[in-house]
Amino acid sequence: MSNEETPGNGNTLALVYGSLLLRVWLGVRALQTGIEKFAGTRSGDQVVTVDGVPNEEGLTAGGSMKYYALENYHGVPKALMSKFEGEPLMPGFGLPLYDKLLGPALLVLGVTILLGVAYRSSLFVLGLLYISLTWGLILIKQDDGVSWLGVHMIMIVMALALAPHNRLAILKKW
Amino acid sequence: MVTPMNTDPTNLSRRGFLSKSLAGAGAGLVLGAPNILRAANQTAAGTDAIHIALVGFGKQGEVLFNCLRNIPGLHFQAICDISPYNLKKGIGQVNSLTKVRPNGYQDIDEMLATEKGLDAAVIATPDFWHSPHTVKCLEAGLHVYCEKMMAHTIDAAREMVKAMERTGKLCQIGHQRRSNPRYRFTYNRLINGNKICGQIVNANAQWNRSLGASQDIGGAKIAKSIIVPDDVLNRYGFKDMHQFLNWRVYRDLSGGPISDLGAHQIDIFNWFLGTAPKRVYASGGNSYFKNREHFDNVMCIFDYDTPQGEVRAFYQVLTTTSYGLGFYESFMGTEASIRISEIAATSAIYRESGDHVPDWGALVDKGYLVRKPAPPKPEPSADAVASYESAAPDVYDLPGGFNKPAHQPHLENFFAAVRGKAKLNCDARHAFESEAPIFWVNPSALTKQPIDFKTEHLSV
Repeated sequence: MSNEETPGNGNTLALVYGSLLLRVWLGVRALQTGIEKFAGTRSGDQVVTVDGVPNEEGLTAGGSMKYYALENYHGVPKALMSKFEGEPLMPGFGLPLYDKLLGPALLVLGVTILLGVAYRSSLFVLGLLYISLTWGLILIKQDDGVSWLGVHMIMIVMALALAPHNRLAILKKW
Repeated sequence: MVTPMNTDPTNLSRRGFLSKSLAGAGAGLVLGAPNILRAANQTAAGTDAIHIALVGFGKQGEVLFNCLRNIPGLHFQAICDISPYNLKKGIGQVNSLTKVRPNGYQDIDEMLATEKGLDAAVIATPDFWHSPHTVKCLEAGLHVYCEKMMAHTIDAAREMVKAMERTGKLCQIGHQRRSNPRYRFTYNRLINGNKICGQIVNANAQWNRSLGASQDIGGAKIAKSIIVPDDVLNRYGFKDMHQFLNWRVYRDLSGGPISDLGAHQIDIFNWFLGTAPKRVYASGGNSYFKNREHFDNVMCIFDYDTPQGEVRAFYQVLTTTSYGLGFYESFMGTEASIRISEIAATSAIYRESGDHVPDWGALVDKGYLVRKPAPPKPEPSADAVASYESAAPDVYDLPGGFNKPAHQPHLENFFAAVRGKAKLNCDARHAFESEAPIFWVNPSALTKQPIDFKTEHLSV
């Protein structure tokens, strides 16, 4: 079994690959989530024509079209925002600030993780961000979301554990 | 021979109703014959905005708010709820949407005495509060949108109709399917306009809800943040938090599943058939939830005499299984059957095979219907006798849908009526005529006897 790859024998290719995969996954996850904060929809609905005239009952056909624009930005989705507003433990001043910062934070962290800029610190900050999201979801009893974020946290910890095997990084310090 | 349907919905309803000496009960069941409505052209505050109060901001109140937020021209002036948690949640959501903090109240009397310039109230409180709250708001000069079921007793529902007619204000009841474009198209264009069903002989509908979705709310330990003090609960008719959270399972507070879930769908029987039933037979029991006051499973049959002939309509509400497509209504005729639901994917139109059924090619060409791909034909099997089987019906669909929350069109209709630009699709009198038979399902099930409806059963 001379091909067995363990840290002990110095052959760490598997660990390098593992680190790279986690890095790309977490980076893409953060980056695209940040981009999605700028997504909106345009209604493409058309009133259905029946017997040559638009129907009076209001039946429509078609659907919505997705597009991206700065004016679409919502850090916290509208539906969740209104729920958080009603939470007694949610500080009123913090929510608008969090709403403004969440999208840009995800974009910046996505880029730094993907490029390997201050990789470990970026992962740590991303973990803190996910903890803050977890707290919010606990407040509004979104247990499924909490579980999802728990999985993300495990992946971040794994990525930190594999950080010594991180390669192709622009800034290895921090 | 198929009897053609009367294309005039007003005559259809009135004739069937008069023939059964149930005047006043069935005459207004059809959409095209709403009550005399008096709507304001200008709001109480003298502006274009309609100033509204949200009465009740629990789960259903939040559902309605998520529709109201999409309707332009509304000013959320006040919110009333006995629960501090709900009240804070409602104020927060309005504030988040409009950047204007609404005034909050625990007591509706205080709200009505304090708030000036209100135009309308949207009521989403427990059923046993619907009637008192609606009557108070109407008498305070407000138009009212109130959730169904109108009330927990038929007498309380009668009071709502009387108050609407006494005050001349608008009162829409939340049978939201009445404003759903898919239901309206089906009723106006397919059943009445083109008579695609032929003679409707049977109807059936169901709401099958899983055991998991039917459990008590709150569980063994209720979160501190949502607890309402006992003295407040007692003042507003609740014995404890369990009653407050689970009022639907208590006889003094609601009509139970047949009323809570069945009201929407039995309303469709009465609307589409254009008349009130003449009889109900029901059976029910506490098959699983042994300690609940209301039956957890109810099955009932309504007998109708329509201008086309007799119709039997079966309805079941199950709180122990979701099997069988969940919830839908279906109307089965000699030429076609329509299964319709708020969920478009569950809906379909089935054309019978046979020479007695007209060709639907022209209907498809004109856009009334869309042909769906035929389902795969089952393989012949040894345990089936081919000569016993009917040919599978062709499957069609409506030519479109709508892209809004389910309750929004009904609320839009209400506010259009408040502005004097529409007639209500389900005012309190029409809702009463449709709901009245439902109040007699539980008595029939309890006594295990059919009830033949007389004027006093169904009239205001």
